Amino acid sequence: MKNVRIYFKKMGRMKFVSHLDMTRVMSRLIKKSGIPIWYTEGFNRHIYMNFALPLSLGYEGTNEVMDIRIIDDEYPLDKVLASLQAVCPPDIEIIKATNPVKPTKEIGFADYVLAFDEINCDLKSLFADFFSKESVTVEKKGKKGKVKKVDIMPKIKACCVGDNTLTLQLVAGSEDNLNPALVMDAFFEIFGLEPVFYTVTRTSILDKQGNPFI
Amino acid sequence: MDNKNFERLLLSVQKPGRYSGGEINSVIKDKSKVDVRFAFCFPDTYEIGMSHLGMKILYSLFNEREDIWCERVFAPWIDFEEVMRANNLPLFALESRDPIKDFDFIGFTLQYEMAYTNVLNMLDLAGVPLRSKDRADFTPIIVAGGPCACNPEPLADFVDIFFLGEGEEVDLEVIDLYKEYKKEGKTKAEFLAAASKIEGVYVPALYDISYNADGTVNSVTPKGDTPATVKKRIIKDMDKVYYPDKFVVPFIDIVHDRVVQEIFRGCVRGCRFCQAGFIYRPVREKSVDTINNQAKALCESTGYDEISMSSLSTSDYTEIEPLLNKMLEWTTEKYVSLALPSLRIDNFSDELLEKIKHVRKSGLTFAPEAGTQRLRDVINKNVTEEEIINTCKTAFKGGYTAVKLYFMMGLPTETDEDLKGIADLGQKIVNTYYSMPEKPKGKAVSVSISVSTFVPKPFTPFQFEPQITRDEIRRRHEFLKSCITTKKISLSYHDSSTSFLEGVLARGDRRLGDVVEKAYKKGCRFDSWSECFNLDNWMDAFDECGIDPAFYANRTRSYEEITPWEHLDYAVSKSFLINESKAAHGERTTPNCREKCSNCGANCYGEGVCFEKR
Repeated sequence: MKNVRIYFKKMGRMKFVSHLDMTRVMSRLIKKSGIPIWYTEGFNRHIYMNFALPLSLGYEGTNEVMDIRIIDDEYPLDKVLASLQAVCPPDIEIIKATNPVKPTKEIGFADYVLAFDEINCDLKSLFADFFSKESVTVEKKGKKGKVKKVDIMPKIKACCVGDNTLTLQLVAGSEDNLNPALVMDAFFEIFGLEPVFYTVTRTSILDKQGNPFI
Repeated sequence: MDNKNFERLLLSVQKPGRYSGGEINSVIKDKSKVDVRFAFCFPDTYEIGMSHLGMKILYSLFNEREDIWCERVFAPWIDFEEVMRANNLPLFALESRDPIKDFDFIGFTLQYEMAYTNVLNMLDLAGVPLRSKDRADFTPIIVAGGPCACNPEPLADFVDIFFLGEGEEVDLEVIDLYKEYKKEGKTKAEFLAAASKIEGVYVPALYDISYNADGTVNSVTPKGDTPATVKKRIIKDMDKVYYPDKFVVPFIDIVHDRVVQEIFRGCVRGCRFCQAGFIYRPVREKSVDTINNQAKALCESTGYDEISMSSLSTSDYTEIEPLLNKMLEWTTEKYVSLALPSLRIDNFSDELLEKIKHVRKSGLTFAPEAGTQRLRDVINKNVTEEEIINTCKTAFKGGYTAVKLYFMMGLPTETDEDLKGIADLGQKIVNTYYSMPEKPKGKAVSVSISVSTFVPKPFTPFQFEPQITRDEIRRRHEFLKSCITTKKISLSYHDSSTSFLEGVLARGDRRLGDVVEKAYKKGCRFDSWSECFNLDNWMDAFDECGIDPAFYANRTRSYEEITPWEHLDYAVSKSFLINESKAAHGERTTPNCREKCSNCGANCYGEGVCFEKR
């Protein structure tokens, strides 16, 4: 038995599929692919899968990570890749299958690209103003509906305003995580702006040192 | 609308996955290379429609043909309907996102009467005039099929063609005829007239209905050389009929998210309240090999890990044990589980129980339907209390602790005694559990009783019966509640007003078309959803049309009366239904098709159980 790390894209129509639904979709694709997958040993046996970092409904991801286990140690990784690629719908693309190096708890950051219809000069200067702030405290709903106050600024590691896009590197992982929607909500609120529409794409998942998660 | 704006709209509603399309095994074709575009509409939510086997079969069957592109359409939930109307987004098909008003056919499957307002709403959202007489263009042709097509009269003004019976053959015959007529530049009227000559095709506009002073139907007159009666179509050889080797696998969770494997059509039992038991006659089985191969292929193409056997009464399949043995050979090793819904109490054996246990243990569900033996004889549900108790014993021994029982209330000749019998039966099951030394240790038994309201349906022996009034339904609910004295039994029942409306529409005539349209215009849709159902709007609609709903629901109909569906032939003869009605009132049971033929008329097709060796 060995762990295999799968990198994939979740694009287009797939962005309307929630994380919970995504786990079901993936388990069916794996089953359909015929790779020698490992099933959990419990009362209700199911395919073992571990998504490194769940993706919010409505977001696209170009470099998502999922770990699976196969029972045949000799089974070649390129065969895992090809078998999965053969069964995926157009908006899921399997990029590579590798031997995992780091455990998922080593995830520290993620890159997001937010695309707007237009980032005009006004918006640009407001972004500059916003991201130079020392601290911005927002209310975050935790599990069980508890509301806690969080300072989001220390969790924004980098930001870059481009032509109609805003690129953010945010703290990510199971212990601490910042959703770009929370950043944008705070931005609109601080300046009293009517929220504008933007799309979100997660472009990479990084480890605690800021290197690509492998 | 461009993709970006479309997706923006989707992100503003709940469950956008209902409308996104792109699922595994969904079919994309080049629209410039097909001759016929067919919008297959299910008039309810995505989650319900995607669970429907008939749609899966016809979707794949149509798409096997290179010249047809069949796409799926579901009723948008009210939040998305609002967004669509606000943004002038017409109803579109999931695969291409093209507006369906430009399609050749818009087809609806009519699974229950409470979806009728959704049919009108979907036509309106598509931008298509509701009434067939207002649709001057050749296309789109509005067609409909499904069980409610056996009395489609309330929708007769809106639909161009109804398909009676099973659609696998007749649908394609009509599409071929359409291609020919379109190519030759004929008119819609010429096409409809020609289509009406195909067996199983009902073109309501070609029949005039006249009424008596008392409101009953006087006559049904075909126009010109239109056939006087329309006979339903059936598939004769179930081993040769098309069955999909792929299902569209949804991304979001739906009601029945698994492989559905059909094992036979029809039912031998003849329970007198059950419309499906009569309109799907005669029973025709698939062979063990066919079922096994089809289920295996579906598992491989979908990645599903569960197979549900589909039929009206699974344990009546003649080869059920060999079938299960054969399937368990590969399902166990592939971690695929088997589900056997629609089991009957009386032939539920120890061995069968053992086999299901192999796979997955879920609750036990039985449908005695009535609380006393007398009433079970009336409805021809030939199970005895002893059998019910014995089956429960077997199940308890096997480790089950929860039993679910389905009953109907308001059955013909029902008395309070019969209702009390429901509570008594529940109590006897509880007592049985506690009297057993081998019951599961340390666990309490739970019996849930679910009571629905009986709705008389066309083509059943009870089509002549009055439905009890809403007040009476409520009184009987209260009475039954008062009969249950233990917390081990839980009771749930359906809303009385939806059953009433279902009763009106099920046996309605053409004059109800105005009411359905008015109700829809008052905002009625998703009538089977309690959060949307509004009886007041419906009652106002009846009132404004000068129609008394009680005339349709609560009146005893004589055997001589011409029914609104008199010109539709579902193979079971009216004289058989009358005999069965008399037997019901005489509390006499009728043997099932395998024990003895009762000459219902379904042997006219020359196939099925009617010709099995007894």
